[in-house]
Amino acid sequence: MQHEDPRNGESAHRSSKKPKLSSKFITESDTRDEFSHHQPRVARINNGSFGSCPGSVLTAQRHWQLQFLCQPDAFYFNTLRDGITASRKIIKDLINADHVDEVSLVDNATTAAAIVLQRIGLSFAEGKFQKNDTVLMLHCAFQAVKKSIQAYVTRAGGSVIEVRLPFPVNSEEEIISEFKKSIEEGKSNGRKIRLAIIDHITSMPSVVIPVKELVRICRAEGIEQVFVDAAHAIGSVKVDVKEVGADFYVSNLHKWFFCPPSVAFLYCKNSTSSSDLHHPVVSHEYGNGLPIESSWIGTRDYSSQLVVPSVLDFVNRFEGGIDGIMKRNHDEVVKMGKMLAESWGTNLGTPPEMSAAMIMVGLPSRLCLNSEEDAVTLRSHLRDHYGVEVPIFHQVSKDGEEEVRDKDGFITGYVRISHQVYNKLEDYEKLRDAINQLVEDGKTCKMLYTE
Amino acid sequence: MSLNHLFSHFSLKVEAFFFFCCSPRSYHRFSSYMASSLHNTPSAAVNGTSVADAKSRLPKRPRLLADPTPPLFTPSDILSEFSHHDPTVARINNGSFGSCPSSVISAQHDLQLQWLQQPDDFYFNQLQPKILQSRTIIKDLINADHVDEVSIVDNATTAAAIVLQQIAWGFAEGKFKHGDAAVMLHYAYGSVKKSVEAYVTRAGGYVIEVPLPFPVNSADEIIHEFRQALQRGKQNGRRVRLAVIDHVTSMPTVVIPVKELVSICREEGVDQVFVDAAHGIGCVDVDMKQIGADFYTSNLHKWYFCPPSVAFLYCKRSINNSDLHHPVVSHEYGNGLAIESGWIGTRDYSAQLVVPKALEFINRFEGGIDGIKKRNHECVVEMGKMLVEAWGTHLGCPPEMCSSMVMVGLPACLGISSDRDALNLRTCIREKFGVEVPIYYRSPKDGEDGGVTGYARISCQVYNKVEDYHKFSDAVNQLVHNAFTCASLPN
Repeated sequence: MQHEDPRNGESAHRSSKKPKLSSKFITESDTRDEFSHHQPRVARINNGSFGSCPGSVLTAQRHWQLQFLCQPDAFYFNTLRDGITASRKIIKDLINADHVDEVSLVDNATTAAAIVLQRIGLSFAEGKFQKNDTVLMLHCAFQAVKKSIQAYVTRAGGSVIEVRLPFPVNSEEEIISEFKKSIEEGKSNGRKIRLAIIDHITSMPSVVIPVKELVRICRAEGIEQVFVDAAHAIGSVKVDVKEVGADFYVSNLHKWFFCPPSVAFLYCKNSTSSSDLHHPVVSHEYGNGLPIESSWIGTRDYSSQLVVPSVLDFVNRFEGGIDGIMKRNHDEVVKMGKMLAESWGTNLGTPPEMSAAMIMVGLPSRLCLNSEEDAVTLRSHLRDHYGVEVPIFHQVSKDGEEEVRDKDGFITGYVRISHQVYNKLEDYEKLRDAINQLVEDGKTCKMLYTE
Repeated sequence: MSLNHLFSHFSLKVEAFFFFCCSPRSYHRFSSYMASSLHNTPSAAVNGTSVADAKSRLPKRPRLLADPTPPLFTPSDILSEFSHHDPTVARINNGSFGSCPSSVISAQHDLQLQWLQQPDDFYFNQLQPKILQSRTIIKDLINADHVDEVSIVDNATTAAAIVLQQIAWGFAEGKFKHGDAAVMLHYAYGSVKKSVEAYVTRAGGYVIEVPLPFPVNSADEIIHEFRQALQRGKQNGRRVRLAVIDHVTSMPTVVIPVKELVSICREEGVDQVFVDAAHGIGCVDVDMKQIGADFYTSNLHKWYFCPPSVAFLYCKRSINNSDLHHPVVSHEYGNGLAIESGWIGTRDYSAQLVVPKALEFINRFEGGIDGIKKRNHECVVEMGKMLVEAWGTHLGCPPEMCSSMVMVGLPACLGISSDRDALNLRTCIREKFGVEVPIYYRSPKDGEDGGVTGYARISCQVYNKVEDYHKFSDAVNQLVHNAFTCASLPN
């Protein structure tokens, strides 16, 4: 007998008395079972950082691992390559790519960034690019990507433009406007912009970026190549690589697509601009194309790349499949975000339409969160003393910008809450109450250092 | 299905394998073979006990009350530890993908579960201390000076990319001149050769391959060829920026006199020496200070009982090599290779964290890893000799130049005349005879005719039994008896 969870958005007119032979969709109790390995005492509202993986997919993964251990040579010669190809085909269909050759599987977005940027570095080294040719990125790009740019672009003589995006943000127009300004600045000194790196969903603070529009602007402005870092995208927003139109597009499958750690796809639009892309860990497959190179980078456990078919089975047990999951996650996280903002007297960092399955919620100014260290300390305190896992962002105030206030002062800290199928109302209530308790006790972040 | 279900499901399968492979005949042969190996090792000593005590030790040592030392493995323990291996296969190819006992796999599962339970907590509080613990154990095992010299990476292939990318920067940034040389062995591993092409040749370096004789008769033959290659490297005012030397080549497998070759490199002014010891740890003696290389890498999942996959890259502390980076750049960039390698984005790092458990496993063998190495070596030489006698062929190298693997000549009448033949024959032997063994094609030199052109690389690891090699011997004899030739195999 299927238990109707009102949070799943099922419309009121569905009769709960309708006779069913078997449950068509996964039940709430099945879902709990699938995630029963999660630490029960923790309000796990940070799916964004490390993702999650259901028990049935983990079982499938064990099966693959055991096959390898049982007879690794036979596995290598007869099974592995076909398994990876099967996963790539599924992903190709999910993301609306033209050809499976455009889809490579790598460990994570961090690896994909290294692949794309290493090629940029080589172009500088081999004289294809001139000194001071430019790479453009968002100011809030993921730290690993920023370092990768330093390692491969700056080191090779390239220059970098950072686009400062406003936060909190009120509309897509604000982002588009800043982006256009930065391109102008970039081109002003006669520099050529060789690559633009654009997040589809930024990490901290988390905002859904209007990538399609920004890619279109890049093309209009003559930017050679565009790389979309969509680490959070698949399973949290719609991913249509032809519609987005970028040259390169990467997303992690272990974040919002229920794969075990770790697997990501790197899409490369099939054209001459994406040839000569190599995996930095060179194996005997070197020169056979990035998908083949990436499918063998030495002896390793490739099982997380092989379970994509099992993951598809899993998501299709939910009403609406992955689309249904995405919609419900979005609706819930917005609802929970509003609940928290209301309880704390604060704000949301973005309007609902600029968030996916994560949203930034302002923390009460009375916590006096004034530094990155404060954010880390508060996060640890919430984990250790309240059993709440949530990442915290320190908002650096910018000169001349109007800052957001609550009734006591400026809002300088935000939590990034996530919603995934295993989350419950109590998780967010736990966070709500924890923060309210700290405020009630008159605690500031500085006071937490010694606790 | 909850995770608890899947774990019990896994152990049921283990039980099934165990009972399957424990037929009376195979158990008897295995247990008597392993019993003699385990308990009659002349120089065995464990935990400081004397040789005499070790000799007289019974299989089931009575445990004293406060005895912290776990008992030595019995033959049936070992069967159980490897009961997940396909029992229908004579698995005499430990060299390719290694092997991992179930107690280490179980420890790995525990760590994977810890991550899945609360990944943030694991990331902030557990991961780095555990990686450091593994690095510290490795540092002691390999006689490195400082734990900073030890980085953990996925495999030797990754380590090669790290060392070679640094060379590429040397060319790109003008530290090296176009045409400066890198030297490697002709029998260097295929991936390493490609890596040299990707990072050295492409950047403008000149690559010299050292031809090695095979079959080989003495270390001197190798040393001689190496010296000559270095001379070629230094011609026309070139500097030799890097020498890549295998400690144990893969195909064909030979133990290379690395210590001597490193010394020659120093004499001849080679900038840096990188020893690719993919097969090193657990297979040959691995002493960083004795060998003296700048870089040394070895896989722990091949001969050190770790799960796939984990390797260490040792980098001698010196200003000459302070600019090494992991090619997958994370927020740790610039904090030193060991720290960079400790976080290259979200991944399963569990294989890197079970090194303590692998050490524990190894120390339940008489003589620890030294005892295992010695017995594996003796076993593989004995089995190699048995095979060449059965087939009328020869070994690819003298016993002192092989480790836990040896090349065994295949009867010439099999007609192996290409790499493709070797691969097809390997497949045929796997599918028709249930034997897993890699085969190497050696093209005949001028004037040679009708000689041995194919060699099998047999391995010996603690789970192997005499029966495995008899199965192989019988398979080849059968093929010869049937007048089989590789020409008859479908392409």
